[in-house]
Amino acid sequence: MARKASPARLVIALSVAAVLAVFLLYTSIAGGGNPSVAPSALQGRTGEVQLAGLVVGPVTGDAHAGGLRFRLKDIGSKSKTRVAVRYTGSVPDLFKVGRHIVIDGRLRSGVFVAEPGSMITKCPSKYAPKQSGDST
Amino acid sequence: MPELGRAALVVTLGLVVYALVAGGAAAHLGRRRLAQSAQNALIAAFFTTAIASVVLLAALVRHDFSFAYVARTTSEALPTAYTISAFWGGQEGSLLLWLLVLTGFGAAAVRLNRTWARDLIVWVVPVFAAVATFFSFLVVAVASPFATQVAPPDGAGMTPSLQNPYMLAHPPLLYLGYVGLTVPFAFALAALLSGRLDERWLIATRRWTLLAWTALGIGQLLGAHWAYVEVGWGGYYAWDPVENAALMPWLAATAFLHSVMIQEKRGMLKIWNVLLVILAFSLSLFGTFLTRSGVVNSIHAFTQSSIGPWFLAFIGLTVAVSLGLVFWRLSQLRSPTRLESPISREAAFLFNNLLLLALCLAILWGVVYPMLSEAIRGEAVVLGRSYYDFFLRAFGLPLLLLMGIGPLIAWRSASFRSLATTFRWPTLVALVAGVVLLVLGAGSSIPGLIAYTFSAFVFATIVMEFARGTRARKALGAVSWPAAFSSLMARNRRRYGGYVVHASIVLLAIGVAGSSAFDSVADAKLTRGESLAIGGYTLVYRSLDERQSANATEIRATLGVSRGGDDLGTLEAGKNAYTIERQVSNEVGIRSDKVTGEDLFVIAEQINADGSVNFRVFVKPLVNLIWLAGLVFLLGSAITLWPDRREQRRLVARAGEVGLPATR
Repeated sequence: MARKASPARLVIALSVAAVLAVFLLYTSIAGGGNPSVAPSALQGRTGEVQLAGLVVGPVTGDAHAGGLRFRLKDIGSKSKTRVAVRYTGSVPDLFKVGRHIVIDGRLRSGVFVAEPGSMITKCPSKYAPKQSGDST
Repeated sequence: MPELGRAALVVTLGLVVYALVAGGAAAHLGRRRLAQSAQNALIAAFFTTAIASVVLLAALVRHDFSFAYVARTTSEALPTAYTISAFWGGQEGSLLLWLLVLTGFGAAAVRLNRTWARDLIVWVVPVFAAVATFFSFLVVAVASPFATQVAPPDGAGMTPSLQNPYMLAHPPLLYLGYVGLTVPFAFALAALLSGRLDERWLIATRRWTLLAWTALGIGQLLGAHWAYVEVGWGGYYAWDPVENAALMPWLAATAFLHSVMIQEKRGMLKIWNVLLVILAFSLSLFGTFLTRSGVVNSIHAFTQSSIGPWFLAFIGLTVAVSLGLVFWRLSQLRSPTRLESPISREAAFLFNNLLLLALCLAILWGVVYPMLSEAIRGEAVVLGRSYYDFFLRAFGLPLLLLMGIGPLIAWRSASFRSLATTFRWPTLVALVAGVVLLVLGAGSSIPGLIAYTFSAFVFATIVMEFARGTRARKALGAVSWPAAFSSLMARNRRRYGGYVVHASIVLLAIGVAGSSAFDSVADAKLTRGESLAIGGYTLVYRSLDERQSANATEIRATLGVSRGGDDLGTLEAGKNAYTIERQVSNEVGIRSDKVTGEDLFVIAEQINADGSVNFRVFVKPLVNLIWLAGLVFLLGSAITLWPDRREQRRLVARAGEVGLPATR
């Protein structure tokens, strides 16, 4: 590496510095993302989180008036924890009891209040049809 | 029949293992006859894979439910086209398709290049065979498409959301793209292994890379359109990990297609090019791993299975071996020429590459962040849409600007004076466009305004380039302007096809900016007769109807649409309730304006018992330019892909010139 510093290195160094600067800018403005937690891990958390779970009935209420109410439990674990959820906004087509869903929101006095319109449903098996685990 | 399929795959595995071992030995020891035999084995592996594929296809078409795969992915009532699409509808079939395309590409690439790049081909064969060994091992031992069972009376059928014409084109195009990236990867590794590090491997693979890149690009746009018109949430791209999985290799391949030109013209960026190819190929493997292993939360949930660890191991091996080879040949990869000035075409291309790579890595970081944070902090943290949007702006907008600057700036070193002359008009056009748009109210979104202004700049440079070239051709004796234009295109397809592709990216940028930065949305619960106003449109909820189709109950709300007193007809939005699948799907109403490219997008979110409906309405300006961009992209790619004997001869001659002895 006894060669004279070439503009190429300058260009790369400057670019890398610029990229890092942008990255730092982002993390300082927007902070980190939301932690993704399972219903059983929600207890005691008050910050905004992403909750991923399996829908447990009964589903009551109206997502466009007062809120849709249902409960979520852990996907694929034996935990008995159920979290009550209140959700408003768009309800995806695939939402129903037994589906895996992901919602953003926070726990308020024992009820997980979701951000309006944040629900994402996971079709349990997009590229394969129903499996036995599909019912609750 | 399943025995034939299974046997064909076992033979394939045997052939590719032979091609790997014999090919490697032949290349290492310099045995020509053995190398020939390894080549033949690779080509034969394509035919045996084809036999296995025909067996599976026949089973699908005959509804032979004794094939577990057929029973799981199709049913008696499924229309034939979708029955065929079930070939790539499930995991085992997808892997078989991957292997089929892989061996097919391998056989073709070997046959096409074996005379003029023989010293490369002897190493290409074992590299291809190594990748094929992995995939044939998977379909033989881990996920066989030919598992049998006692035939049930009917199959489980296909999810309704997949029963869609897009299913026929979107997945296979993505596969073509993913697998196509193996070709430049195999040649790059062959160049490293053989020590033939001149530009030959680039020339041999340029069209393959272009083909894979085009397929990947079009495949993604089709997927976006599918999401837009069928899924019905009002968008076309959600930064979902599975979507990102296809975008990342595309970005890496885009960077590669550009930096290749610098190596061809100036002999620079050799290490960089090899690394980009390795990155693109590894990312295409990583994409498959992401979709199949279920390690991240995605809207697209594929069959999750046990092949994840295998993929992870293979990716690790690929990266380790490739980087080891690069390190081994490092001294030979040094460029004979150096960058002379940070204001030159080389530097512009380098900036472009760094930005593309930065965007690609930022996306990769977002995708793996939940996994990393889970491993380190014991808690998965998900980065949301704002993260990706931020980086798309931070890196995408400068990239857009560079697209106008790069092709026009002088090689080696440009002076500021020459820059001022070259970019006088485009800058003026951009400034005028910016001011006009600001007056029209585009100031509501600064990134949107910047995107529009940069787009105007790039578009002006493209038009200028075409005008200048055509004028030059005319001056050189073309009879007419159209003749001058077509002779211009014919003489340098690569360059002008590239400009057409750039024009499509401009259209895409305008479409994305218009539909995301300047869209409007309204939510309202309407009873019959009530109306809603948005973006200059007035929608009146007229009636609610229910009808019965073959497999679903269809509920439709009819809305009368008008704008500024003009009646624009009616729009229907509603839901389908699928009886057998017990599934409901949103059926959105879209009215596209052919002149302005604007969409009025209506979702009937909730249909209430009293006949009232909760509507969500979007007005998305310019969104149709995104789909138009797809057509222009295809046109541009076709122009650059079109066989050009003159250029090929020139490049081969150049490769012969610079083709230095293998070892120094």
